[in-house]
Amino acid sequence: MSMHDFFVNRVSGIQAAIMETPDRPNANKKYALELSGLGQRLYSDSGKVVWSGICTPFEVLNAMGLTACFVEFMGGTVASMGTGEMMLEAAEHAGYPAEMCGYHRAVMGAVSKGFMPEPAFLIGTTGFCTGGLSIIEMLAREYHKDLFVLHVPQDYTHENVHYLAYQIRRMVDFIGDHTGERLERQKLAEAIDLSNRARDIMVEVYKLGHSVPTPIRGKDLRNFGILMPLFLGTEAAIDVARAFRDEFMTRPATGESRVSEERLRLMWLQTRIQFNNPVIDWLENQFGAAVVADELNYVHWSPLDPDDPFTSLARRIITHGFNGPTKQRINILKKLAKEYRVDGAINPCHWGCRQGTGARGLVYEALKEIDVPVINLDVDCVDSRNFAEGQLKTRIEAFAEVLESRRRSAC
Amino acid sequence: MPNQNTGYIGFTCAYTPLALIHAAGYTPYRILPLGDAPERPGQVLNDNLCAHVKRTLDRAFDNDLPDLAGLVFVGSCDAMRRLADAWPKVRPKDRIALLDLPATADDSSISFFSDELSRLADTLLQWGGRPMADSDIKRSVGLYNSLSRLLEDFRSMHYRGSLDGGAAKLQDLYNKASASPVDEIIGLLEEETATPKISDPNNSAVPVFLFGNVLPDPSASALFESCGANIVGEDLCTGSRVFQPLKVDGLEAPFRELAAGLLGRSRCSRTLDASRPGTIAEEVVARAKECGARGVIAHTVKFCDPYFARLPLIRQALRDAELPLLIIEGDCTMGSFGQQKTRIEAFVEMLR
Repeated sequence: MSMHDFFVNRVSGIQAAIMETPDRPNANKKYALELSGLGQRLYSDSGKVVWSGICTPFEVLNAMGLTACFVEFMGGTVASMGTGEMMLEAAEHAGYPAEMCGYHRAVMGAVSKGFMPEPAFLIGTTGFCTGGLSIIEMLAREYHKDLFVLHVPQDYTHENVHYLAYQIRRMVDFIGDHTGERLERQKLAEAIDLSNRARDIMVEVYKLGHSVPTPIRGKDLRNFGILMPLFLGTEAAIDVARAFRDEFMTRPATGESRVSEERLRLMWLQTRIQFNNPVIDWLENQFGAAVVADELNYVHWSPLDPDDPFTSLARRIITHGFNGPTKQRINILKKLAKEYRVDGAINPCHWGCRQGTGARGLVYEALKEIDVPVINLDVDCVDSRNFAEGQLKTRIEAFAEVLESRRRSAC
Repeated sequence: MPNQNTGYIGFTCAYTPLALIHAAGYTPYRILPLGDAPERPGQVLNDNLCAHVKRTLDRAFDNDLPDLAGLVFVGSCDAMRRLADAWPKVRPKDRIALLDLPATADDSSISFFSDELSRLADTLLQWGGRPMADSDIKRSVGLYNSLSRLLEDFRSMHYRGSLDGGAAKLQDLYNKASASPVDEIIGLLEEETATPKISDPNNSAVPVFLFGNVLPDPSASALFESCGANIVGEDLCTGSRVFQPLKVDGLEAPFRELAAGLLGRSRCSRTLDASRPGTIAEEVVARAKECGARGVIAHTVKFCDPYFARLPLIRQALRDAELPLLIIEGDCTMGSFGQQKTRIEAFVEMLR
């Protein structure tokens, strides 16, 4: 089955499942539907596909009618489909070493296997990681397509915001030159309005997770904060966010889907493990540990200014926790730890990540300062081949015991 | 005000504006990833960071550094940014500046980097450096250009096979030039040029082009020679890439000229030309051919993402050009590099 057919089948399957209970929020199904729809478009929107860096302001590309996606999405997708191993082996065969980020290796494997949709052009971003831009450059070379690079400054200053906003304007010109269509002011205004409405609902969604016990289960908002930007500026982002909000609001009354006995509250750092794995089930079912917070499930930006959209988009990009010095990230982590009242944090130290995992020791120490223990798990979030299940379980068990004993002592 | 160019400013990246530091009255001091300090960066960062960063941090842990008036880091890649994050944990009293380095050298990137250099000049002034006029910057650039040309002379002697001490001597000179007062090293080189010790060229050595990132240990350079290779061209960030003359003719503002010069140098793999993606591959081929190399050695430190991503492309371009390639991965210690001896010997033998 081709990737296109896979996504077509998946979309129709999810649509049918939603129709079985149309009056319910069906949040996870709607979320999966949008992701599968994106997959379908990537494999069918010939001439409109744009591979990009992770900090691309997707509102702008969505307003221009493009199917834009950051390349790491592909790495996560093949891992979740169970085809990650095949792509990673292909990448290694092509000369990309196993020390590289698994997301990026999987992308290059997909290229060499012919699984990667060909882009019309590419938008690279210097953030959040050096490896991401390298891969975008290699894709531009591979497909002989034009490349535009957004340099995301590290420091949040007025000048840097202005500089990035200027580059976003140039990016719009670059896109116009390649599509023959200019960005319409009205369409951008609509996209900014839709983005702001989605943002407001996302704030509500995350706030619901502050409750004790949480109405959110560990698998509900998997990758939510990192993937939602792909849909910002469209109705899809609002629909998905609203579905989660409505579902979480009804759960306390019904008790449905809640972790049976919430004994521990945990924060997940960086990205989730993308391939099928039992970690969340262990945590919830064996230790009563709810993953109530995700580092990336956080709205760090103010509503975008419809009168000055490029400046506010630039501000949002620069102030992301994964940009700039690690202390910017640490401040966010400390804030989340307090808001969600977490007992501990899980850091899946994604092998090959110099950006997030590179700061592992600093993050560990910073959270220790506010009395939040961290367990560092040595995993590759995309590569299942080195997933040492038994060893991880033993370490997680020990961590949970320590956290429980700390809780008992505090009572 | 510090003494005339006697206070040291530490740096770690080839994109550091040495002339600007000099113009502020300081001596740039490259913290090379050398020494015997035990490995400890895992305490503050992660073990899978590049060896350059880890070994540099080892030196900080070990206080294996001279008195520093401050440090200038360059945010060239994730690992370097993490180094800047971690440094205050290890040496909290050090003053630090982090330069944001664009990934491309287009017009807006040059303007941005020019502003970064201007900001650095202000920071150096706050640290007690000299206020600098445009003429000071021009003079310092002139001095570093003189140094670069002298090193070019030594490089040429080495490539001809007549530099006494060979590749190890040349690397030793690069290391000294990276950590000594510029006038002093110019004096030393001029003296040596006046009375050159010329050795007989080893005509049986095989010409090889060497590129990559960090390889500062002169023993490593000697090892190539002992394996029968003559490095006739090199592009390393602890070698010729640091010392390339910059054009500052006063036609534009000095910070802008400096920014354009630094960004326009022979590229590290983290810097790209968006209008010609992957052009680093053609550049390696062209340089290898230009110097008459029969083969190419790529040396990268372990966990260097920018090189990891580009090496397959470079390998293909070299294959198309019928230039054999040997890839060596190191961790900035001779312990690991020495293990490569057999591979280098076999590679050189194959090129004969």
